[in-house]
Amino acid sequence: MTASRETLRLGFLTTVEQANDCFVGGLLITNHLGRPLEFQCTTPVRPNSTQKILYGPTLKPFVMTELIGKTLFERADVKPDVLLVEDEDLLGLRELIDKPVACLSVESKVPVLVGGPDEEPLTLGRQHLRLHHAHDFDRRSIMKRSHLLPDQADLEEPFERVREALQEVLAPGGSR
Amino acid sequence: MTDEFGQPDSRPDEILSNPDCAQVPLGIPTDLHMAGVNAALHRWPKVETQTIPLLSKAPFVPAWKPHWQKVKVFRLTFPDGMEFLTPKEEPENGEERPKLKSLKPPQADGDAKKKKPTRLKPPEDALSLEDRLFYVLQPPLQTWLSGQELIMPFEPFPYQYEGIAWLFAQKSALLADEMGLGKTMQTITALRLLLRSGRVRRVLLACPKPLIPNWQREFKLWAEELPIVTVEGDTNRRNMLWKMPGNPILICNYESMVRDFDNMHEDDRPEFDLLILDEAQRIKNRTSRTSEVTKAISRKRSWALTGTPIENRPEEMASLFEFMEIIPPRGTPDLRQLQKLSEVYVLRRTKDLVMTDLPPRLDRDEHLELNPAQEHAYKTAEKEGVIQLNDMGESITIQHVFELVLRLKQISNYDPLTGESAKMDRLAAEMEEIAASGGKAILFSQWTKTLDWIKDRMSERVPEAGTLIYHGGVPTKKREPILDQFENDPDSNLLLMSYGTGAVGLNLQFAGYVFLYDRWWNPAVEDQAINRAHRIGQKSAVIVTKYICKDTVEERIDLVLQQKRELFKAILGDGDVSTESLSMNASEIFGLFDLKAKAGKGTKKIGPEQPESLDDSKHAA
Repeated sequence: MTASRETLRLGFLTTVEQANDCFVGGLLITNHLGRPLEFQCTTPVRPNSTQKILYGPTLKPFVMTELIGKTLFERADVKPDVLLVEDEDLLGLRELIDKPVACLSVESKVPVLVGGPDEEPLTLGRQHLRLHHAHDFDRRSIMKRSHLLPDQADLEEPFERVREALQEVLAPGGSR
Repeated sequence: MTDEFGQPDSRPDEILSNPDCAQVPLGIPTDLHMAGVNAALHRWPKVETQTIPLLSKAPFVPAWKPHWQKVKVFRLTFPDGMEFLTPKEEPENGEERPKLKSLKPPQADGDAKKKKPTRLKPPEDALSLEDRLFYVLQPPLQTWLSGQELIMPFEPFPYQYEGIAWLFAQKSALLADEMGLGKTMQTITALRLLLRSGRVRRVLLACPKPLIPNWQREFKLWAEELPIVTVEGDTNRRNMLWKMPGNPILICNYESMVRDFDNMHEDDRPEFDLLILDEAQRIKNRTSRTSEVTKAISRKRSWALTGTPIENRPEEMASLFEFMEIIPPRGTPDLRQLQKLSEVYVLRRTKDLVMTDLPPRLDRDEHLELNPAQEHAYKTAEKEGVIQLNDMGESITIQHVFELVLRLKQISNYDPLTGESAKMDRLAAEMEEIAASGGKAILFSQWTKTLDWIKDRMSERVPEAGTLIYHGGVPTKKREPILDQFENDPDSNLLLMSYGTGAVGLNLQFAGYVFLYDRWWNPAVEDQAINRAHRIGQKSAVIVTKYICKDTVEERIDLVLQQKRELFKAILGDGDVSTESLSMNASEIFGLFDLKAKAGKGTKKIGPEQPESLDDSKHAA
């Protein structure tokens, strides 16, 4: 009998805001080498005017996390070990699910110190990560498997694929 | 006198000095009419209060609950890829295995320039969303192949990445890259990725028999972990291999494939996810048994590999398209339709286009005067031959003309009677120089007999050239050692090869000189031969020398060959679309000589307006 191999499944969650105030979300789950295992996307979510007025500035985070992010995560057959996002608003999803959510700090490309000045920056592949402020303990579970990911892995790239897939779905005749 | 008011009339001055004043009472008596409201105006209003109990709840309160429609989700799962065991590291002779490295020399703008990743694109004929997303969501090839998951011994060139990505996505594909650009490597890598991603699970690769060792070698180099099984041996063994499950890749040669499938019951024939035909011009003739059997093999994807999709006629391309299942059986697309299909299903790159850093190929046509005795023999043979042909009248056939052409070509190579040869003289002089500088040369001829003759002469005249010979007459087992010797022995400078055996599949990029001792009927075959040397890995310019004897049939053939190149360009989008087919057909072979017409209609030339297939002529040869 062979020992079960250690795995690292990465989820790449992103949402796209369309011109007509619609939101669409996509979640790509890959193995540690970037090979796709599962992809899901939502149908467009369009808030009505009452919702827009009443949710105010909280509308976008609400739609992105509670409606799109949570739904995509819950419906996934393959559960990612780490859910990666590009938008800090999506970090709030961590409050709704039981897996680490980390945001790529793409802007500065400098380490983001989440646990204080003495804490080592959280790095995965070529990117630095930011965690939800209330869930800094996720760092440990991420670090535990980070060695499975090649040092040169570009974690920004899969988001491109998700965006391109969403475009494909939303193209005329693409969605069903 | 009084005025109008009854006052005595007086003068005005009297009135002004003594005015009369009278008092008029202002109280004007009024009488009130009696009305009902008058009394009410004088009465104080009477106010009364009473207590009314309040309701316990407000009757209406506007309310809103945060209700959202359920979000619908579309899901795509990816097939499990096939896992292969990575071969154990076994350093041979203490040598390290090659690591990932670039073959490309540093470019002028520096390697620092970020390379654009090659993304897989859905093929144009992929209609379902699942299909399209499958390709869109795959990682860039560079990520896949840069050693993170799959080890590559050398980094592919950008155009090779494109080729791999294109092949990966194509259900029907004709990879027609010019020889030497790495069709084998691109095919193996695309195949490797398809197996890894679970897109295909059982593959058959058919190739000419001499190329099987080449494919085995290339598989070992580019995808060592892929288990390949060569279908060979006696009939029982081959039958067992055809039916044995669990072999993801089978390699076979055309002849045994046709034989075995012919002998199998229709229900017993194996099915494949992918069928690859190397040197796919083998099925250019639609009616050949090879072509028919190949097209009948059950498969999901069909790839054809050839550097020469059209050797002579556009119909050959149609036969390949029929195999690729993009035209119906017996379909006859016209030139324009072929072009349109080529844009989608054919990928062809030329060296000029992609290998800007490949050393140049320098072509030089050497027009030689025949030696006196040779010239005499040639002229006599031509004169007698033409007379003989004209005497035949109506009974003349292409075969008769062809026989004369072959005879004259042979005399141009050397006079069998005296052994005189202008070409041999030149070759000996050139080989002395090449051998002295340690260079390597390959020489092609149409005839094994000529090759044997050259070998004998060279051994006498330039023994230091260490002449080797490689043609169909050499037993298969001895061929590889000959190639090894040519590559590694510094005293072996010249390799004599026949077009038939040496023109395809061999990698001889260490040779800097190519001699075409005589010309093949088809420029594509000549190019294949030249590209044994002029290919990836070649470090210096390749000098290609074509020997053409003046005032002989060779000059006329050379002209026809040049015209045929134009046909090639016409179909593959590199030339004038309106150019007519310029295949070297029977009438052109007739046209090599000033022959009289067949009996009854006086004298006229048999011109190229009578198209007949070259196949007939070749067949006749």
